[in-house]
Amino acid sequence: MSFVNGAVPTTIIVAGLALAGYALLMTALNRRMGLGLLVALGVLEILLLVLVGIVVAKLASGARPASVPTLIGYLVAMPFVPVIAGFWGAIERSRWGPAVIGLAGLVAAVLMVRLHQIWPVIHV
Amino acid sequence: MSKPAASPEPAVAPPESTRTGPGRLLIAVYGLFALSATARALVQIATEFSHAPVAYVLSAFAAVVYIVATVTLAKGSPTARRIAVISCSVEFVGVLVVGTWSLADKATFPDATVWSGYGSGYGYVPLVLPIFGLLWLRHWNKRAKAQAAIVPAAGDAAHVGARDHGEDAS
Repeated sequence: MSFVNGAVPTTIIVAGLALAGYALLMTALNRRMGLGLLVALGVLEILLLVLVGIVVAKLASGARPASVPTLIGYLVAMPFVPVIAGFWGAIERSRWGPAVIGLAGLVAAVLMVRLHQIWPVIHV
Repeated sequence: MSKPAASPEPAVAPPESTRTGPGRLLIAVYGLFALSATARALVQIATEFSHAPVAYVLSAFAAVVYIVATVTLAKGSPTARRIAVISCSVEFVGVLVVGTWSLADKATFPDATVWSGYGSGYGYVPLVLPIFGLLWLRHWNKRAKAQAAIVPAAGDAAHVGARDHGEDAS
């Protein structure tokens, strides 16, 4: 049994929660979207793409989770989370823009837990 | 306490609707549930329908309700708001009924739906979401009424403060 290295999912959880905290602080301070949040979203996006690459490599090596369609769905949907949140948050010119970004951070963290449930070889 | 006491929003805002302000976050959460419930229902029905037919049909029903709520909240016209009130109400009743049903009759639910156990698998967000949805719609219906009553001086009269509709799962 070989496992997917847990460093990337763990980093995504930490980054997602940090992003959520930062964004909620911006909401609490009544601040709009700024460059800082967009950069943080970009970092999250890169991490998610790296993870997709790792999992695809794992699939290519012949291993299979219990439900392949579910895993594929997650792999396809995951990279869109920061992109859609970034767009949806950036067009909102109030404190609620950062709140949307914060949601994306939370979602990224939750997705890591779900991924582990779908395919336990993906460690957290 | 949804009276004008809250913080003044920046007055430069472009045309506001149920889509802007706290609505932005609300629609983001609704969209997330619309997407995940739809995907989940499709996979379940396509791959293992006979395993838990009742649960999967209810998953699909929940998915439709979330899609309707997302679209109508994003649209925000008077008709859309009326449909949104209905779908959020159906959603709330659905969470309560399916939640209770899933606890009382576990045999019918060998696999979970979005609304099983009042949405416990999703941090109880499905239980709380329709409440925020209905509060937000009520805020807008009041505001529309106020604007219809006093047409002249633009906008600001009906500025009922934007309150915290943004509770997350965490």
